[in-house]
Amino acid sequence: MAATKSQGSYLALFWTAITVLCAGVAYFAEGFGKLVLVIGLVAVAMSLFGFLKIKPEEGETATPEGLAALKIAGIFVALGGWFVTIAGLHITPSVPGRLVFALVGIAISLVGVIGVLPVAFGKKTVGRKLTASFPAKASMEHSR
Amino acid sequence: MKKTRFRVVFGFVVGLLVLASCLGVAHSQTAPATAPAAAAPAPPTGSADAELKDATGKAPTMMQLQSGDPGGTITGTINDVPAADTKAGVTLPDVANQVGQNKIAVNFTWTLITGFLVMFMQAGFAMVESGLFRVKNANHTYMMNFFVYTCGLFAYWIIGFAIQMGGAAGNSNLGGLQSLSSEHTVSIFGKMWGLWGQSGMFLAGHTYDVGVMVIFLFEMVFMDTALTIVTGACAERWKFLAFAVSSVIMGAITYPLFGNWAWGGGWLAQLGTNVGLGKGYCDFAGSGVVHAVGGVTALAVSMIVGPRIGKYNRDGSSNPIIGHDISAVLIGCFILAFGWFGFNPGSTLGASANGSLRIGTIAVDTMLAGCTGTIGAILYMWALKGKPDASMSGNGILAGLVAITAPSGFVSPTGACIIGLIAGVLVCVSCSFVENVLKVDDPVGAISVHGTNGLWGVLSVGLLADGTSNYGGSWNGVTGSVTGLFYGDASQLVAQLVGISTLIGVIFTLSLVINLVIEFFIGQRVSIESELAGLDMPEMGQLGYPEFVFRPEPAVLMGQA
Repeated sequence: MAATKSQGSYLALFWTAITVLCAGVAYFAEGFGKLVLVIGLVAVAMSLFGFLKIKPEEGETATPEGLAALKIAGIFVALGGWFVTIAGLHITPSVPGRLVFALVGIAISLVGVIGVLPVAFGKKTVGRKLTASFPAKASMEHSR
Repeated sequence: MKKTRFRVVFGFVVGLLVLASCLGVAHSQTAPATAPAAAAPAPPTGSADAELKDATGKAPTMMQLQSGDPGGTITGTINDVPAADTKAGVTLPDVANQVGQNKIAVNFTWTLITGFLVMFMQAGFAMVESGLFRVKNANHTYMMNFFVYTCGLFAYWIIGFAIQMGGAAGNSNLGGLQSLSSEHTVSIFGKMWGLWGQSGMFLAGHTYDVGVMVIFLFEMVFMDTALTIVTGACAERWKFLAFAVSSVIMGAITYPLFGNWAWGGGWLAQLGTNVGLGKGYCDFAGSGVVHAVGGVTALAVSMIVGPRIGKYNRDGSSNPIIGHDISAVLIGCFILAFGWFGFNPGSTLGASANGSLRIGTIAVDTMLAGCTGTIGAILYMWALKGKPDASMSGNGILAGLVAITAPSGFVSPTGACIIGLIAGVLVCVSCSFVENVLKVDDPVGAISVHGTNGLWGVLSVGLLADGTSNYGGSWNGVTGSVTGLFYGDASQLVAQLVGISTLIGVIFTLSLVINLVIEFFIGQRVSIESELAGLDMPEMGQLGYPEFVFRPEPAVLMGQA
């Protein structure tokens, strides 16, 4: 596909919806705020389902195949490192102790971010998805 | 090659040692703070009023002013001080009020003008990014850099600003900002921790206030800088619709959350008052808040989007994809370096009172770090690859500037040189690591420039802050100056590490989850057909350079090798 009128329409709906949603949050304490919030939520949901409806029109993309379970694992490891850092603040009052906890926490998060997640997002299969089904279309370069 | 690498590393280490010894000398030469001279006893009020009346009498008359003032000696006198009671004339309270307003006026002007400079950085980002991409994607890249300003600004106005700064009351440089006084807090282990602000949505109600408007403008352009970083890492294959939605959500939620924790009185800023870690997490102008948030989000989104067609071969090796305009890249870098004088010195939020005169040091630190960043990158590339690579030189100056952003308010010029030099080398190493080890396609090096060096900048505060800055006597509610490990406060380093852990563990994860949801509903990437044709026509409906002619790309870049 490419950019279309449907995309523009649903983006306009999404934009309006989040504005209404935020207005509902801003005036939540007043009576009409709750109603506005509900209207905003419904509109956001409508826009998301609109996006979902037109998504297949895009056609095949070159995104590498990923591993869903590994993505979840990577997210948990990355987040887990932060919990270790925070736990250190309460486990020990000493600066060296907290320093060690912080470094260990960062190391764990890095394992998730640069160890697990790149593999989960297809690091080992990059370059293997060929585009032979598409003709080699012309690109533009300067006409020197 | 090994010999060359050894020489480069050896030379780098020697350079660092020389700079470090300079730092030591500079430190030892620091003069002890001298006590301010004893103030002269104030004259009695009656006497002051008499003097004011006398000054009014001596002020230039209307006749004198009508004949012009070419020397500028009689313009701006006591006649220009508004009197509360015109019959009584100008009194001491009138003068005091005018002095107060002058201070705020100077600070408003300073903050607004530096904010305008930061806004102009959008043009620099657009040029750098577009120049580094192929001509077939020029319109799409420029449009992303153009539209991200709107997406971010709108999202920040409706909710982002409230989340970030809604509880940030108390800045006396801008008149107190007392209407931003609502922070949502939770109690953990007996301490109250701020999570997000709650006042300021739509800038309505009691936040319809002159001081709030100034801080809104300044914080908004910072936020937009963070959003722009992501477009560079994901360009040439990012669907415009997905980009728009992702940018709106980042401007509304991801960026403001970390901004609140660091700058809005949130839990990272409270690490000093609550658990005794230095002055809390310190990030003067945003190596972490702006650049690392943008960098880790860029990493998350570019992982989801995947590499461009032709970037990697079947065996995993990578191909260079050359940009179309190196002149745009380098001019863009200069625009960014110019804008950085708004970014860092502007972050004092004033030029008058509360130690704001440090703006001179901050500006010089900024220049020097950019300078040594360029030197580091050029020498590294030249020694290792044989050529002083232009795009890496550009990344070198940006890396130095990114790294000095957090420590610029707290370090000496020598410290700034060290930070910039390390950043210049680090960006080259990191770009290679991201491309060849992580297999993440980052066409402009945004992850390395802003992510890696943003984190380095945050860390460097904990190492090199020299304890001489004094912004009103305290920082984040803790009395004293920000002091790093090398100057005697190891706890400040721990506070910085907690910030780094939060950026990697929480902000990266949050960005990843949000963009996975967008991937589910919208799809982040354009079709193969659009990508091969170039995104200008399919996504924008107009070529960036319509008078250029078509020429086939090599088969390897069409994913067919």
